[in-house]
Amino acid sequence: MGEATPTSGVEASVEEPSIRDRIGDLLENETVLGYGSLSPVMLLFLFIAVFPIVWALAGSFFAINAFNPVWEWTGLSNYEHLFFEDGFYWTAVVKSVIFGFGSVAVQVILGIIFALILQRSFRGNALARAVVLLPYLVPVIVVGLVFQWMMNPNYGVINLLGIRFGIINEAINFLGNQDIAMYALIVAASWKWSIFVVMMSLARLEAIPSGYYDAARVNGANAWQRFRDITLPNLKGMIVLVVLLRGIWMFNKFDIIWIMTRGGPSQATTTLPVYAYRVAFNQWQLGESLAIASTLFLTLVVGAAIYFGKFNPEQEVRVE
Amino acid sequence: MSYSTSKSPIERIIDYYVRNVPHATQRRLSTWVFRFLVGATVIVIGFPTYVMLKSSIQPELELFSNTFLFVPRNPTLENFAGLFTETAFARFYLNSIIAALGTMVISVVSATLAGYSLTRFTFPGKKRLAQSVLFSYMFPPLLLALPMFMIWRDLNLLNSYPGIILAHSAHALPFDIWLMWKFFQTVPISYEESAWIYGASRLRAMRDVAIPMALPGIIAVSIFSFAISWSDFTFANLLLTQESMKTLPIGMLGFIEQQAVNWGLIMSASVMMALPAFLLVYFLQSYLLRGFSVGGLG
Repeated sequence: MGEATPTSGVEASVEEPSIRDRIGDLLENETVLGYGSLSPVMLLFLFIAVFPIVWALAGSFFAINAFNPVWEWTGLSNYEHLFFEDGFYWTAVVKSVIFGFGSVAVQVILGIIFALILQRSFRGNALARAVVLLPYLVPVIVVGLVFQWMMNPNYGVINLLGIRFGIINEAINFLGNQDIAMYALIVAASWKWSIFVVMMSLARLEAIPSGYYDAARVNGANAWQRFRDITLPNLKGMIVLVVLLRGIWMFNKFDIIWIMTRGGPSQATTTLPVYAYRVAFNQWQLGESLAIASTLFLTLVVGAAIYFGKFNPEQEVRVE
Repeated sequence: MSYSTSKSPIERIIDYYVRNVPHATQRRLSTWVFRFLVGATVIVIGFPTYVMLKSSIQPELELFSNTFLFVPRNPTLENFAGLFTETAFARFYLNSIIAALGTMVISVVSATLAGYSLTRFTFPGKKRLAQSVLFSYMFPPLLLALPMFMIWRDLNLLNSYPGIILAHSAHALPFDIWLMWKFFQTVPISYEESAWIYGASRLRAMRDVAIPMALPGIIAVSIFSFAISWSDFTFANLLLTQESMKTLPIGMLGFIEQQAVNWGLIMSASVMMALPAFLLVYFLQSYLLRGFSVGGLG
């Protein structure tokens, strides 16, 4: 841009545009408009999302003690300590994988079954759906506390009914038993997050044109064949996506575990995020905690790479 | 594709057992199987909710007995009354409302603006921008909360409303922006173009034409943002440590840490917390599902 230089005869002959016109042109320029209108949101975004992540990555190379304001550069020693000396880090990785895989498997299978049942419209549809969709919006603290109450070894409904119907002989301390606590967590987590899969599946199911089913029916397809050849292929992309997203989130899950077990009993449910929290707030080694968070971030990067490679999520839908 | 030849094993079994019944009976049978399945689903998923509701109106004596009563024998509201007389529940509720409304306002304004810009303008770097928004949609709260704790401490944002609202917005915004972007894509630009022809400015056309048409999306975004803030435990746990600033989730955890665990109080508080969720789901479920179908990344 800038002033029209008199060296070019063509430009010299063009009438000098007024300031007003230039501002007008600028306001019609899509690049300027695009960046201009996005800049407030992007600044906010940089501050609350990008900056913390960069901070975590940077901080992982320092020794940061909570009570000492000075950051001491230590290079890779936080990571070395975690990977080779710590002893618990890899145990926590394995626990995260068990929790992540276990709960995602349960969520996807149950979620799709529930969605298929609820898809058909019937009387009382809205109420049934409301009851089913509710867990997804119920705060995780409520989920944690209600399941803690239900699993209570003395007065919990699961033990009381289990004994009354002869399923178990004596009360089980679900959350206090090292061998059971992880499964108890998976049950509670699956109750809430299966509903995410239900919502994604319902949305996807409703997008399948009913003409497909009519055509199949005319051709003599039975219910199972319609499911196998129309419903399932249409759900496939959604299933891959849900496994990926929920996999990342469950692997990184902190809240439900902290609320229900605090990583206990005796570290039986200390997954990586819980471990990161403990290193930060029990041992006050913030740098090392950030190193754990940074390795969690790695799972995100891998997940995102698969995601952007497999799907084309940023593609625009044009409706004219 | 030919469907006429093969039948599934399940189908064959059903056919075998119902081969001699009239068509009407077959239909009735399938209706009843369907009803049974819906009932089973609702019972399985609704059971914890039922336990919560039931326990919230039971007196202590009934709660801590060794028999499970399906219907409370002596229903009472004393647990709910106890919340307001014995605990700081009202304070936590107020803090949660402030945080959730603040998050909602920031998210809706930002996401609407961003969604509009991303659909209506073409500019270099747009694809990268959309990708980075989607990428941060995958950030789990703890990953942001740990560094935020340190940054907020230096900036004096710990134990403050702006601090928690910003943190919740960080968690809500990526999905909200994504959703609004997808929503504006379903609003044809030709309506705005005709407004321009009649002399409306870009801003005016956006306000009077595009935004009203994207209203279902804005409602979906409001619900999601409110729910994210209302439910959040991780950010609040790290960023709000002062008793008077605590939101419901961490305030509630305080109840359980006290020596004698009063489950009646805890269950009635849970009911109060789940109530907004139930109202949203019951009255606005079509927006929720629409939000998911448009922006649900399917």
